[in-house]
Parts: sequence; C-alpha cells; structure tokens
Amino acid sequence: MRPTRLRATLTGLALLPILAWTLFPIYWITTASFKTELALYAKPPRWLFEPILDNYARVLTNIPFFQYLKNSLVIAVGTTLGSLVLGTLAGYGFARFHFRASEAVRFLVLVTRMAPRMVLVVPYYLMMQRLGLLDTYTGLLVAYVSFALPFSIWLLIGFFVDVPLDVEEAAMIDGCSPLGVLVRIVIPIAAPGLVVAAIFAFLVSWNEFLFALILSGVEAKTLPVVIAGLNTDAGPLYGEMSAAAVMVMLPNIVMTLVLQRYLVKGLTLGAVKG
Amino acid sequence: MAVGGAGRWFLLPGLGFLFAIDLIPLLYSGWISFYDWWLIRPRDVRFVGLANYARLGVDPEFARAVVVTTLFTTGAVLVEFLVGLALALLFAQPFRFLRPIRVLLLLPLFVVPVVGATMWRVIFHPEVGVLNYYLAALGLGRPPWLSDPTLALVSITLVDAWRTIPFMFLVMYAGLEVLPAELFEAAAVDGASAWQSFRHITVPLLTYIMLVAVLIRGMDAFREFDVIFVLTGGGPGTATQTIQILNYRAFGLGHMGEANAIGMVTLVLVAIMCFVLMRAILRPRGPRA
Repeated sequence: MRPTRLRATLTGLALLPILAWTLFPIYWITTASFKTELALYAKPPRWLFEPILDNYARVLTNIPFFQYLKNSLVIAVGTTLGSLVLGTLAGYGFARFHFRASEAVRFLVLVTRMAPRMVLVVPYYLMMQRLGLLDTYTGLLVAYVSFALPFSIWLLIGFFVDVPLDVEEAAMIDGCSPLGVLVRIVIPIAAPGLVVAAIFAFLVSWNEFLFALILSGVEAKTLPVVIAGLNTDAGPLYGEMSAAAVMVMLPNIVMTLVLQRYLVKGLTLGAVKG
Repeated sequence: MAVGGAGRWFLLPGLGFLFAIDLIPLLYSGWISFYDWWLIRPRDVRFVGLANYARLGVDPEFARAVVVTTLFTTGAVLVEFLVGLALALLFAQPFRFLRPIRVLLLLPLFVVPVVGATMWRVIFHPEVGVLNYYLAALGLGRPPWLSDPTLALVSITLVDAWRTIPFMFLVMYAGLEVLPAELFEAAAVDGASAWQSFRHITVPLLTYIMLVAVLIRGMDAFREFDVIFVLTGGGPGTATQTIQILNYRAFGLGHMGEANAIGMVTLVLVAIMCFVLMRAILRPRGPRA
C-alpha cells in the first residue's frame, strides 16, 4: 500500500466513530418521528420500518403547535431585526470612528456576554413583573436582542472594516451624510456579513430556553419550552416529542448548511486574529 | 476620517441598550441579595444585610453545587479540548470529502440545545433506549445512565461534549489554517518527526488560540443549564445539581434574596475564572498565530 493510501484509510478509521457519535442522535430522533408506537419500542430496535406521519399529525392537533411556532417565529424575527439595526450602527461606529478607549469599549461589549444568564434572569423577571411584561413578546425580545447584539457587533466590525475606504470617501465628497454612506454604500457591500449576523441572531432567539422557561407562561411560550414539557412525561409521548423536535431543529439544520462558508469567521469571533 | 463626533451617534443606541439591559438587572440583583424577599410576600421585604450570603457559606447543598459545577466544567472542557484538537489536526491534512464531512461534524452545534438533550434522553433510556439494548446484547448490562449519581454526571458531560466539540474543533482548525506552512516544510527538511513538529511548532503557535477556546467554552460550560435541566433536572438527588440548577430551584421556591445572592456569587466565580485565564492568554509570548 502506498503511504497516501494508508493515510486515507487511517483518517477514515479515525473519522468513522466520531461521525457516528455526532450524527447518530440526529438520525435516531428523525427516524423515530416517523415510527409507529410499535416500532418505537420494538426490541431489537427497528432500523427498517414503514414511515408514517401520525406523530406529526398528532403533535399539530393535540397541542396548539402553530401558536407556539408563531411565538417562536415572531420573537426570533424581532430579535433579528432589532440586533441588525443596533448591531449595524454600532459595528460601523467601531469600524470607522476611532476614539479614545474604543478598544476597551469594544472589549466591554464582549464582557457583557460573560455574565451567566441565570444571574440576569431573576432580576429581569422581577423587573418585567413590575412593568407588566411577563409572558409577552416584548419581554423576551428585549432580552434576546441583548444576547445577540454583542456577537452581531463583533461580526459586523469584521465585515465593515473590509469595505474599501475610498468608495466611502468618494460618497462623502459627493455630499452624502455618514448615515447615508452606511445605508447606500457600506450595507450593500457588506450584505453577506449582515446575512450571517441575521442568521446567528435568529438562532440565538430560536434556541433560547432559560428566559423563555421563566418569563413565558401561556401566551408567549416558545418551542424549546414546549419540547422540554413533552419530555418530562417520558415514555408515552416519544413519537410526538420526536416529531416536534424534528420540526424545531429543521430551520437550524437548513441555516447551518447555508452558513457553512462563514462558520469559521463567525464562530471564532475574530479570536484567531488575536 | 474627518467626521468628528458622528461616531457617537452610531454607537450610542446599541451600547446604551446593551448596558441598560445588562447592567440594570445586575445592580438590581445585587440590591435584592441583601433582602429577605419572597415572591409570594411582595409587601413583606426586609433588609437582612449579608444574611443570604452567610447562609450560602454554610449550606452543604451550595458547597456540593460548587463541586459539581467544577467537575462538570473541567470534565467537559477537557474532553472537548482533546477531541476538538485531535479533529483539527486530522482535518489539517486534506483528504477526500473533507468539506461535506466537516459540515456534518458541525451540526450538533446548531441543533437547539433542548432538542439535542432530548435526543440523548431517548437514547439513554434504561429500558427502551437503543444504547442499553445493544449494551445488554453485548453482555454489558443496562447502565442507569441518568439515575446513577456518578454515571449521571458522566452522561451530562458527554452530551455537553457532543454539542460543543464542533466549537472547539472549529476554533482550533481556524488557528491551524493560518499557521505558516513554510515552518513545517523547513522542519521536515531538517528531519523533524511529526511529533516533533507538533510539539515544537504547532503547540507553541497554537497556545493562544487554545487558551481562547478554553476560556470561551469554560465560561459556557460553567453556566450550562438547558442540557442538565432536560437530562436530569439536577438529579438524582443533588448529583448533577450545578450552581445554575440550584439557583433555578431557589427561584422556583420564590426565594428571591437567596436566588440573587447565588447569582452574585456565580458572577464573582466567573470573574475569577475569566481573570485567571485572561492572564494566561495575555501573558506576552512569541509571535501570535
């Protein structure tokens, strides 16, 4: 065997277990959602079976799934818009206007993300109670924008810095205001960055559990809380739980595939640049 | 750029919002922690000074939670670091199907955490779970993954690792990508073995990235809630009750003073951890990657 062959074989052997470990849970819950009650509990576990849609039908009719879906969607879209507007302004501010302590402030933005959410949620709950905002979209939305914002700012700084300065200067000379330059010149050029920031913000809100668990009751309940609720009843609801879980993770999987080109830049938060 | 103070107007809305939403609750929380404050008795709130903190200091359950959190955080970060590094090194050498496999390996990072934990709960089920079926078939018995105190801690660590190994992998992979190839070529010409060039080129140049990855993951693992809540809820008993879960329970009991005191202590612990790691990161050393 040539050494390259050997290396390929070894790589494959090393990857196989880690791929199985990574993908098996996703595979198993996805197939479970299409199984009959009988197939779900069959021993030995069924790898081949006739897929059915009953679990989906049940989850859509037995619980107000569409109401929860709407809650999750509205809050996630609101979070996305809010953090995009604030993040674009601040990101551009950091990228183009240097002031004393601008490095320190930029770092401080990141530090705000280090406080455990559990620490924030208790006082936040009491504040929302006072304001009458418990179990409302607004209560969750404001919190989620603050979760997504530091990340959006850091990500967008990276994209805005790459926009060629002379284009901006030319527009300024033509009498464009700074805001005009941002909206007409910078945003179109840095559009891919905005898309990435938007998707990340959406997922922050879509995935969030703790605040939703504590702040929402009936009206603003989001899907992760619903899934966790189905879960505590263990056994009998496996089918419905799997179906709900698959529907909730579908947007994530799709967005991961869309995002893959930007993942490294986005997730490492510029850590690599040092 | 000669724009003068215009930058202020770009920064103000976002930064103002951020600091208001983060700082005001923190200050409020600090204030509440000095009171005997129950959710069911909103009118009967008494100032008790440091009593909430003093009680935590002698509370064996809190001490236990600190131990559990430490075990979970170090265990999870260690496993994630080692596997992530191994994967990053593996992917540093191009091979066929590298790109699609890389994307597949990243998926758990994007699965809704509650959903991820749910998958594992189904797999871990002692009676109808697929894992125990095959273990039993191999004669390895039916380990009670989530109901044995020690195993439960191992299980939540494994699930956390499943979810975040992709993150460690990505960060270190990105770090490896920017290492200058000439260094490795020169080392190879000089007859360095793979281990030698790893030990003397990769590790020193990658130290910064490794520490950043450990810092970010460490902070996240420390405050992990979703996975533990769904998998064990802190049980059996207090076996997997981390500080976060304990804090949630105090909140659930309506004991606001104590819940906020736990929050404040958490904040101090996180700050210490962050400080120690930051010092290690910022310590001047050779060229940064």
